[in-house]
Amino acid sequence: MNIPNVTHYIHAYKVAPWRIQRQWIGSALLAVVTLAMVAALYLIVTSHAAIAGREIQDLTYSITLSQQVSGDLQTQLASLTSASAMESRALELGFRPMESDEVEYLVVPGYSEPDPFILSASQGLQLSALTIAPQYNQSLLDWMDEKISSSQGMQ
Amino acid sequence: MRQQYARRTQALTSVLGFIALAIIVQMTRIQNSAEAVIFSQQAQNYAYELKTFYPDRGEIYDRNGRLLAGNKTVYEIGVDLNTVRDPHAVAFAVSAELNMDYNQILDGINNPPQGLSYIVIADFIEAQQAFNLQELKRALQEQAAEGTLGGLTGLQFKAHPQRSYPEDALASNVIGFVTREGRGYFGIEGKYDTLLSGNAVQVLVPTDPNKAFEIPRVQNGTTLILTINRDLQSAAEEILDSALLTYGAQGGAIAVMDPRNGEMLAMAASRRMDLNQFWNYNVIFDKSSEFDTAISKPYEPGSVMKILTMAAALDSGTVTPDTSYLDTGSILIGGVTIQNWDQQPWGVQNMVGCLQHSLNVCMVTITSQMGAGIFYDYMNAFGFGHLTGVDMEGEVSGRLKVPGDADWYPVDLGTNSFGQGVTATPMQMMMAVSSIANNGRMVMPHTLYAMVRDGRQYNVPAQFAGSPVSEATADTLSEMLAVSLESEASLALVPGYRIAGKTGTAQIPVNGFYDSAQTNTSFVGWGPVDDPQFMIYVWLERPSESIWGSETAAPVFAEMAEKTVILLDIPPDYIRQQLVAK
Repeated sequence: MNIPNVTHYIHAYKVAPWRIQRQWIGSALLAVVTLAMVAALYLIVTSHAAIAGREIQDLTYSITLSQQVSGDLQTQLASLTSASAMESRALELGFRPMESDEVEYLVVPGYSEPDPFILSASQGLQLSALTIAPQYNQSLLDWMDEKISSSQGMQ
Repeated sequence: MRQQYARRTQALTSVLGFIALAIIVQMTRIQNSAEAVIFSQQAQNYAYELKTFYPDRGEIYDRNGRLLAGNKTVYEIGVDLNTVRDPHAVAFAVSAELNMDYNQILDGINNPPQGLSYIVIADFIEAQQAFNLQELKRALQEQAAEGTLGGLTGLQFKAHPQRSYPEDALASNVIGFVTREGRGYFGIEGKYDTLLSGNAVQVLVPTDPNKAFEIPRVQNGTTLILTINRDLQSAAEEILDSALLTYGAQGGAIAVMDPRNGEMLAMAASRRMDLNQFWNYNVIFDKSSEFDTAISKPYEPGSVMKILTMAAALDSGTVTPDTSYLDTGSILIGGVTIQNWDQQPWGVQNMVGCLQHSLNVCMVTITSQMGAGIFYDYMNAFGFGHLTGVDMEGEVSGRLKVPGDADWYPVDLGTNSFGQGVTATPMQMMMAVSSIANNGRMVMPHTLYAMVRDGRQYNVPAQFAGSPVSEATADTLSEMLAVSLESEASLALVPGYRIAGKTGTAQIPVNGFYDSAQTNTSFVGWGPVDDPQFMIYVWLERPSESIWGSETAAPVFAEMAEKTVILLDIPPDYIRQQLVAK
C-alpha cells in the first residue's frame, strides 16, 4: 500500500456522510444531555427548596402552636395559683392569716430584700427570614431573572 | 434502499421539526395573546394570599411576677361551604356542644349570604369545647366507609388568642380590660393599649412554598410589669369590702403607695368586675368614674387637707409648731361664720393641738394670716386642680377655685383650708401628701415598674414633681402629725410602728347645702415616720355607722397598715433601729 492511497482513504473516511451525520447527532445528543442535566439539577434544587420551604412553614406553625400552648399553660398555672385559689387552699390545709403580733423578725446575715420581678432575656432574638442572604434561597431562574433585570436597569 | 431510508428519515425529521416549530409558535402566540394577560392575572391572584399577622398582646405581671393578664387560645368555628357534606350533622353536633340553636345553624349553612364560601358559626369558643368537636369529627371520619367523607367534613376550627385574667376581679380597677375587638379600656389596658397590642403586619404570603422565606416576623406586644403587689392588693380589697360592711359605707377606696418613689403597691376600689366577663361592665358601673374611684372620682377630702394647709403655713413662716392662738369655737371669714367640727371652743392651742383636735377655726386663722396668694400658690404647687399623671386611663382632676375665678368667694379661702369647697381624688391627695412623707420631694404616682420588649427589660425610673415645701418643714410636720396621733390615742395607730397621719371628715353637699348626716371619711398616713416605706389612703363614702373619719377610716387604715408591714416585711421600729445601729 502506497502513501497516497492511505491519505485518500483517510480523507474519504473523514468526509463520509454517515460520519458527519453521526457528529451532528452526537452534538445534538450532547446538547440534550446537557440540558437534561441542567433541568435535573434545577428540579433537584427546586424540590429541595420546596421541601425546605414547606418545612419552614410547618416549623413556623409549630412555633405558633407551641407559643399558644405555652400561653395557655401559663394562664392555667396563674389561675391555679391565683390569690383566691391559694388562700382557699391554705385555709383547707388549716392555715390562717398571720397577725402582726405573731411575726418574729430574725436578722439573717447577708439577706437582702428581693428585687421586683425580672423578666429580661426571656426570649432570644428571632432570626428574621427576610435577613437571609439571597444566595441561600434564590433559585437559578430567580438569579437569572435578577441579573437580566439588573442589566436592563443598568442600560 | 439506502436512499429510501434517507428520504424517510428526512421526511420524519421535517414532520417532527414542523410539529416542534408549531408548538413553539403556538407557545409564543399564547404567551403574547390578549388572553395571556388575563390568565397571568388570574394566576397572580392565586400566587399570593393577603394575610394579617396579629401579634400576641403583651402580658401584665405584678411586681413579683404573678400573671395578672395573659392570653389563652380560643377557637372560631366555621363551615367551609365547598366541602361540607352533611349540614344536618354539622348543625346537630355544634348545637349540642355549644348549646346553640340547631335550626339557626342549619339555616346559616343552607342559605349562606351570596358569594361566601365560608361562614362563621361561633367565635371565642373555649379550647375544651373545640377539642370535643374536633374529636367527634375525627371519630366520624374514621367510622366512615372507605373512600367517603365523615359527617362533619367541612367543619373548620381556627385558633386565635383571647385576653385572659387569671385573678378574675382582683385589681380589675388597675388593670382595665380588653374587648373582643382587641381594644383596651381603663387602667393599664387602656393607658398602654398601643404598647400592649403591638403592630399587626399585613403581607402577601406566596402560596409557592419556595417563597416561604417571605413570611414576616411579627413582634409581640410589650409585656408590662406593674408596681402592684398582688398579695397586698388582695388584702386591700378584702379590708375594703369588710369596712364597707362594718361601717355601712356606700363606696370607697384604699390605696397604698411607696412614698419614696411613687410606686403604687395596691389600689382597691369598692366596685370590681370579673375582667373575663367584661360585657358586664354596664351592669356593674353606672358611670365610668366608678371604675377606679381613686383616680376618677374627685370629692371634698375634708380635714386631711389640713396637712397641706399646715405645711404651707410652716413653710411660709406664718406659724411654727409652738405658735399658739385662742380658739373661740368660731371665726368670721368672707361674711360667713366657720365653726369647729364640735361647734365648741378649744381655748389656747398650739399647732400640734390644732392638728390633733382637727380645729377648723385654727386653719381659717392661719390661712387668713398667710393670705390667699401664698395659700393658693402652695396648693397649686401641691398639684391641686391638675392631673397627677398617673399612668392609668380615666384619671380626672379635681377643682381648686382660686381668686379671680368667677365662682371664688373670700369664704372659700377659709373652707378650702380644711378641705371643703375643693375637690381632689385620693390619688391627688396621696401625691400632695407624699411631699411631707418624702422630705419635701413630691413623687409622681405610677403603676408601671418595667416593660419587656425584644428580651430586654426597661425599668421605669421614679419621677418627682418638685418640692413644694422644704425638707425641714416636711420633717417638722411629720413629727407634729405623729405626736398628734399618739396624743389622741388614735385608732389609726399600729403597735410597734410610729405612724404620721390625719383623719378627714367632709360633709357632702346635697342640693346646694352641706348635709351633716352624710360625710366622706378619709385617712392618710405613712410610716415608719423616721423612714417612710408606705403611705396609705383610705376613703369611705357615706358611712352609716359613724360619720367621723376617726371612727371609720382611721381603724381601716390601722388594719391595712398591719397587713402592709407583714406583707412588705417591714420590721417593727425597735428592730429596724437595732439593725440600723449595727
